[in-house]
This record gives sequence, C-alpha cells and structure tokens, in this order.
Amino acid sequence: MDAFLLGASEVLSFSTLTMMFFGAIAGIVAAAIPGFTVTMAIVLTLPLTFALPPLQGVSVMLAVYVGGYTGGLISAALLGIPGTPSALATTFDAYPMARKGEPGRALSLGIWASFFGTIISTLVLIVAAPPLAVFAVRLGPWEYFSLIVFALTIVASLVGHSLQRGLISALIGLAIATIGTDPMMGRPRFDMGFDALRAGLPFLIVLIGIYAISQLATEVEDPKTIHNGEKLVKGEIKFNNFAVMREVLAGPVNLVRSSMIGVAIGALPGAGGSIANLIAYDQAKRASKTPEEFGKGTPEGVIASESGNSATAGGGLIPMISLGIPGSAVDAILLAALMVHGISIGPRLIMDNPDLVYGMFIAMAVSSLMMLFICVVSMRAFLRVAEVPKWVIVPTVLVCCIVGTFALNNRVSDLSLLVAIGIFGYAMKALDYPLAPLVLAVILGPIAETNLRRALMTDNDWSLFLTRPVSLVFLVAALLSISWAIRGILKDRRKTKQVKDVA
Amino acid sequence: MNENRDQVLTQEAGEIARLLSYVALLAVSIGMFLEARTIPTSRFEALGAGAFPMLVHVLLILLLISAIIGSVRQIPAEAYPRFASQAILWAKTRRLVLLMFVFLIIYITAMPVIGYPIATLVFLLAFLLTLSPKTKKAVALCVTLALLFSFGLNWLFAEVFNVFLPRGR
Repeated sequence: MDAFLLGASEVLSFSTLTMMFFGAIAGIVAAAIPGFTVTMAIVLTLPLTFALPPLQGVSVMLAVYVGGYTGGLISAALLGIPGTPSALATTFDAYPMARKGEPGRALSLGIWASFFGTIISTLVLIVAAPPLAVFAVRLGPWEYFSLIVFALTIVASLVGHSLQRGLISALIGLAIATIGTDPMMGRPRFDMGFDALRAGLPFLIVLIGIYAISQLATEVEDPKTIHNGEKLVKGEIKFNNFAVMREVLAGPVNLVRSSMIGVAIGALPGAGGSIANLIAYDQAKRASKTPEEFGKGTPEGVIASESGNSATAGGGLIPMISLGIPGSAVDAILLAALMVHGISIGPRLIMDNPDLVYGMFIAMAVSSLMMLFICVVSMRAFLRVAEVPKWVIVPTVLVCCIVGTFALNNRVSDLSLLVAIGIFGYAMKALDYPLAPLVLAVILGPIAETNLRRALMTDNDWSLFLTRPVSLVFLVAALLSISWAIRGILKDRRKTKQVKDVA
Repeated sequence: MNENRDQVLTQEAGEIARLLSYVALLAVSIGMFLEARTIPTSRFEALGAGAFPMLVHVLLILLLISAIIGSVRQIPAEAYPRFASQAILWAKTRRLVLLMFVFLIIYITAMPVIGYPIATLVFLLAFLLTLSPKTKKAVALCVTLALLFSFGLNWLFAEVFNVFLPRGR
C-alpha cells in the first residue's frame, strides 16, 4: 500500500501531469496522421524525457502510448488507414460507419471503448499481474508458435471475400518476413545482392506502404470526385458523448470480454496489441445476434476492436515488466526507454521497485482519463482533417509517409522500398487480396520462426506441438477458425445456387 | 441489361488478372523455395535458416496451385480474348493512380540528388495542381501547402526533432 501511495504521489504531481497531458496530445495527433505512427511519436519523445526522473519520464511515454492507441482510431475511422497495426479491426466497422454519414458516432464509440478498455485492463493488472506473469512464463516456444498460427488463420478467415486469398496473403507476409538475416543465426537470406534488403524489410515500412500508400492510391481512383473537391468524410460530425457512453456501457458483456481478451493477449510476450483487436472483433462477431452486420458499420465491432486494443496497452506491461519481452514494436521502444532511465527489467522489478510499477499502472489510468478529456473537449479541432478535401489530403499525407519512413532509419533506400511495397499493396488490393493478413504475418513471421526453431532445438520432436495442452488448444482453435470460414462459404454458395435456381 | 453485361465482363477480367497474379506469385515462390534449399544448415540446430522459408513456400505453392485450378475452371474460354481491352479500360479509368505512382517514383529518385525541400516542392506542386479544381483559391492553397510541407517540414525536423532530411548533393 505504501508503494502504491508513493507511486501515486509521484505521478499525480502537477509537473508530471502537465507533461503527460502534452504527451497524450502528441500521441493522439501522431497516430492520427497515417504514416506517422505512435512508434515514431514515442521514439521522438524519448530524448525529451532523458532529463526527467524515471517514473516521470516513463509516465510521459505511457501518455503518448495511450494517446497513440486512441489516435490510431481517428485515421482508421475517417480514412480507413489504421494509424497503428492495433487499429486494424477498427477499420472494419468504424470506417463504414463514418462513410455512412456517422463519423462522429464512430469516433465517439471508439474513444469511450478505448477509455473503458484501458481502465478495465489497469484494474485487472493491479489485481492479477503476478499470476498472469507466472502463466506467461510457463509458455514455451511450442505455445508461441501455435498461438501465431492461430492468429494468422483467424485473420485470414476473418477479412476479405475469399479464405483462399486470405491465406495466400498471410503466407506472402510470412515470405516477406523471411527476407534479410535469419532471426536465430544471422545468416543472410533472399537479399538478391541489394544492400537495402540485407537487414530485411522493416515492418513499419511494410505497414506504411501496404496501408497508407495503397489506400491513398485508392482515394484518387475516381478523377471526377477528386476534381469536384469531394471530402473524405461526408455528413455532420456529432459526438453525442453521453448517449454514446450509455451505448458503450449498454453492452457490458462485449466490452468486458473484449477488454479481457486484450489483457490476456497483451500479457503473452511477442503477441501484442496487433492480434488482440482482431481476436476481440472475431469473438464479438461470433457472440453477436447480428453477425451479418459486422463489417458494415456496426457499433459492436468498433467497441470490440477499440476496447480490445486499448486493453493490451495495459496487458503488454506484464511480460515487459516481468520478463523483459516486448509485445510489439511500441512495447520494445517503451522497454528501451525504461532501460535508458536505469530501470532493470525482469522479475526483480516488482520486488525491488514496487512504487515504480504501481506508479506505471496509475500513469496508465491517468493517461486514459486525459485522453478521454482531450478527445471530448477538443476532438472537433482534431477532426479538421475530415473537412479537408481529398485532393489536399492525398499529396500531403504522401509526403508525411515519405518523411516518416525516412526518419525511422535515416535511409534514402527505405523510400524506394516504401514505393515498391506501395505499388505491390495497391496491386493486391485491386486484385481483391485482403491486406491485413499480410501485414500481420510480416510482424509475426520472425517470432513464429524463432519459436519454431527454438522448440525443435530444445527437443527434435514435432509431436510436442500436439501433446502440450496449451499448444494443442491454439492449433485446434486455428483449425476451427478455418473450418468455420469454409462452412460459411459453403452456406453462401448453397444460398446463391438456390437463388439462381429459383430465378 | 447492358450494366449486367458490363459487370460480368469486369468480373471475368478481374478473375483473369487474379489468375495471372497466382501464376506470377507461383513463379516467385518456386524461385524462393529453390533459393532456400541452397541456404546451408547449421549443425547446432535441427532446422536451418532455410527450413522456415521452405515450409512457407511449400504451403504457398500448394495454395496457389489450387487457386489456379479453381480460376481456370471458373473462367469461360471466350473471356481470354476480351482481357486486353478490359485491362486497357481499367488502366484508363485509373489514370490518376498511375500518375501518382509515376510522380512518386520521380520524386524519390530525385530526392537524394536535389534534396528534400526542392524535390518535395516540385512533387507537391505538380501533384496538387493535377488533382485540384482549377480555381484561383485552390491554386493559392496548392502553393502554400507545397511551401509548408517542403521547406516548412524540413525546418521543423531539423530544428525540433534533429532529424535531417536528405540535403542533396
């Protein structure tokens, strides 16, 4: 209790709160600009926190982090481009909802769901961090590999019009992930003699190229609407905050389930927020009374995705603090930030510096409160982006993507990679391949490979993937998700056939 | 009736384009599979650096072959001769997308030579003026935006973030 109060007193000081406030704004703005991800915002904030005491510095980074998770929602809902991978599932429903003339409702739903997601995950963290960490420690490489297989099959069966193309897309992503040095022995692979490929394709560049560039290209497909100065989002933006808050709270099962999925997935090192929103979305769809509305702009989908991804921000702290394994790229930078501040990550942290750990939990809750306040009070200002016509957005965001890509590694060759990936992404989109499985596979590929090889290094017996119970559960779940999708396809086919026969 | 026919033609052309993409991907995948076989294995582990890519490409090749068979069975024979004209029509309606990629390629090729500010200024002016409505207000906005995102962003990154965008030779 003393440690809790000590942490609270440090986080709740005026100077820390002020800095966190600006951090949250920076996170929201950065993640709202596609191509300018929350990862970059955290990288850029890191040097600014060097001079601060550890908890203060980390609190500011956490504010950027929480703000960023929410900011990803703005571009996901209004432009259909997820600002971060964790906002992927948000595009499935928030974007159609915004396009149908309810952009304010889509955003408001997302913001409230994010807020409740973070709060629920923080509460769970405080109560259940130690047992969750113990469970995560017990998972071996077999379980991680099976978890990733499960995640990829879910995404492939979830998005797009064809399961086959979804799986092809995921495998292309895995193939792209194998370019560059191998993750275990550092052996060069498939670099074709190009220096730019030697280190592999950085996943942020793949993300920006596949999502931002190809989405921007789609926006200029119709010359008529562009020259007329058509806006990206039509319809008046009305927030109706309290009505939406009641709407979010009216479905507590969906909210709590999605948040819990977020916490549980976030707690698995290596998995991270990129999967949680998809699994939360999938579960919400399965449990829903109206699953056919998913993907067309249903509020349930927005709530599931946003509460799921925000809850991982909290869940991700578990493996990071207890094991030192980041859940995602953003977590990795946060980890680096903690180390810069002289905090040694590992199981001893909770024992040696409980005030710091509790302080971080409090900072999470405070950040989400700030995020909510900022969004409710000044969202209208952020939303100016929606009033800007397409012909302004497309070229300027393109330049932001170029600058963002360059600033990641200060390499001009990355820009050629970006454009090449953008063209490839647009071609895939035009040919009706879903892009989400590809992007996720690029992120998860190295983790899957490392765990597969590590598993077989430990014991050269493939049957262990089936005999270890947790691994088996994930693999069975993967099979089920594919068979579920095939069943849906067969049902649709039978229906169309019947309609044709009647006609 | 005509609309229906157009839709069927577009669908057929789309399926042929997808078939071509399957074939292209299959060729690349087979190539990468063969390349993966040449990666030496290590004596310290059961799987070498080439094993995982080989596993991925075997699965990909199997899926692509089944996709190709499915597509070939679905596409009627008379659709193939019509494909070229449909593809040209598609490219014509998407001329702005093609133009965007041409602009982008020139832009990033020129950037290391003439530097970020000038390359961006020219790219933005050209692209914005192509897309914008032809009014005085819009042109003024184009020029302002081009200046802001070229020299303005360059200044912001250098002075505030200490990131120096390409300066040119």
